[in-house]
Amino acid sequence: MTWNYSKKTTDLFMAAVSGQPGTHLGEIEDPDGFGEHGSIACGDALRFTFRVDRDPDDPKQDRITEARYLTFGCTSAIAASEALCAIIEEGDYTPIEALDITNQDIVKYLDGLPQAKIHCSVMGAEALEAAVFNWAQKRGVDLAELGIDISSAEQEEGRLVCTCFGLTEPYIKRKIEELGLTSIADITGAIKAGGACMSCHHTPGGLQDLLDEVNGPRPTTMKELPVLPMARAPKAQPPTEMSPFKFAKKVEEVLDTFVRPQLAKDAGDIEIVDIKDTKVYCSLRGACSNCVGSQSTLKMLVEQALKDRVDQRIQVIEV
Amino acid sequence: MDVIYLDNNATTRVAPEVLEAIRPYLEEEYFNPSSMYDAARGPAQAVADARQTIAKLLGNGRPDEILFTSCATESNNTAVYGTIAANKERRHVVTTGVEHPAIYEVAEDLVRRGLEVDFIPVDSDGRLDKAEFVRALRPDTLLVSVMHANNETGVIYPVEELSRITKETDPEIVFHTDATQTAGKLPIDLKGDFRYVDLLSLSGHKLHAPKGVGALFVRRGTRCRPFLLGGHQEDGRRAGTENVAFIVGLARALELAMERHDEDEPRIQGMRDRLERELEARIPYLEVNGKNAPRLSNTLNLAVHFIEGEGILYQLSAHGICASSGSACTSGSLEPSHVLRAMKIPFTAIHGSVRFSLSRYTTDAEIDRVIEVFPGIVDNLRRLSPYWDAAKNEPRPEALEMLTRTEMPV
Repeated sequence: MTWNYSKKTTDLFMAAVSGQPGTHLGEIEDPDGFGEHGSIACGDALRFTFRVDRDPDDPKQDRITEARYLTFGCTSAIAASEALCAIIEEGDYTPIEALDITNQDIVKYLDGLPQAKIHCSVMGAEALEAAVFNWAQKRGVDLAELGIDISSAEQEEGRLVCTCFGLTEPYIKRKIEELGLTSIADITGAIKAGGACMSCHHTPGGLQDLLDEVNGPRPTTMKELPVLPMARAPKAQPPTEMSPFKFAKKVEEVLDTFVRPQLAKDAGDIEIVDIKDTKVYCSLRGACSNCVGSQSTLKMLVEQALKDRVDQRIQVIEV
Repeated sequence: MDVIYLDNNATTRVAPEVLEAIRPYLEEEYFNPSSMYDAARGPAQAVADARQTIAKLLGNGRPDEILFTSCATESNNTAVYGTIAANKERRHVVTTGVEHPAIYEVAEDLVRRGLEVDFIPVDSDGRLDKAEFVRALRPDTLLVSVMHANNETGVIYPVEELSRITKETDPEIVFHTDATQTAGKLPIDLKGDFRYVDLLSLSGHKLHAPKGVGALFVRRGTRCRPFLLGGHQEDGRRAGTENVAFIVGLARALELAMERHDEDEPRIQGMRDRLERELEARIPYLEVNGKNAPRLSNTLNLAVHFIEGEGILYQLSAHGICASSGSACTSGSLEPSHVLRAMKIPFTAIHGSVRFSLSRYTTDAEIDRVIEVFPGIVDNLRRLSPYWDAAKNEPRPEALEMLTRTEMPV
């Protein structure tokens, strides 16, 4: 996927990485507002700080004078961080006014973002929100009293299905179940998933598959294709007379008594990896493992010893 | 600006010799090889010759075991779905956690269709856990698919040994390998070391043939239904008019790769090793993914801690250097590489992976250029990373603590 970034986006990115003056790279010490979003594990992380000009009488009238970011992320994540800081500094906002800045404003400032990168702008808006909440706490401003919702949407971790809105498989499945959703249109209406680029509708593991998984497959008029007689059933191998435990013990016993002492002469050893029916999977250790003759050593020595003393059907497979 | 192309595991330039071989079949020899008139003899013979050449180069010598496809993805889909469709009684598949999506996502789809699939784990160098592999084989196992070498890390898997273990366990199990990254690079002898392999996929455009052609080896007697229906071509096993020109190109490219192997291989490995050594020496908190495993000599996959891969690629691109990354932002799926996750690469570096993959056309001067610019690119991004202390030019203490953790923080 090549880069479809606007000139504005790439200019901001190159200015930031080359450390040109006027960029907002950095972290304000002892900031008035501090917010983080994302983590290094998610592939995107933004640490956003701002300083305000404090109003002596009414903290709600504080004005943001300076905004800085540190970002771990892709080209557009870094450009979106630059855009966020620029919008805030140019706007002369109070922190509460700044809450009205949305990811769409960031996208607009960047002259658009590719569909798959919209989430980078969302990260900026989320970090800003977190920083304003932090400021409110420090300054004793009760945001809830002002009618501002400070609870954010909760989502389970999991495989990302709708990349545009960043929604995961467990979350979408839970919503399908809780809300009784039966179609893709239902899902989009309820939780936005699949509402932007629509590529997740019918891909494997996409929205239709999740609907089918939760609700059971849709009724279909197709008949099962006939099964061809060429298919062969697995062959059942007759079990040994011994119990698997006793069989394994007996094998170990024979290895200990007859095989290991011989291998030890060449500073080697043998380890059982697994036993399936009468197949014994062995691995040679030490000096034996690099020996070009190891294959024949095993076949001749180990298999014969086990055949003679445990079961004639034993087959040794070197691992 | 000249392009420095170091993304040869993604695709390769068409070799001039291949282009020359192809040209007549795009110009005067354009006839459908299935047609009856005399003029169609040329193209039909060209396809037959290409089949013979490839069969010979892969050591099996049986042209009827080679099917031409449109790409390795089609070969892989045919191998898996074709085997599933032909064997309804067995419902268990074994593959690895590091396959190319053309197998990995197909296997995930099998799970959705009600089959059981075991994905064998790998260690931190990408090496397969052989004991797990053995334990996964069951009486109802139908198919085992293990790639010959990984496209991201270049780690080579012991297909010779795994196919032998599989067949010694149960000859009815079908063994498939995806040799997309290794055909022409590593020896493949279907009568020798690879005699236990039933199905093998390969691709043209990874070895200097054009995009849009691949092949699937199907050993005689292997039960595999066709994936594409609607024509008698390839004895009804793969419908669709033969892509004559590109089939000729695939055979010529494989031939060329084998001819030049002894000359190209050491030179490519020398350049790769130098790039690896120099970058390791110049950049702190940089690791080579798959360092201790046997690797393809053309592939270098780096884990750069505390920064994100796309920003690296973008700056490389500004210098004309083409590389790739397993970072979420470059994947199209917004998830980091499943291969690096399977290797439990620390999450401080999983988004900072960069892959350089060389070819016979790579030059020493190009490698010099990468060694010159790459450290600066890493510095640029670390300076604005919240996990890096720009003043001290080292990771922040809290970031250092995360360095060895592969578990995602809650």
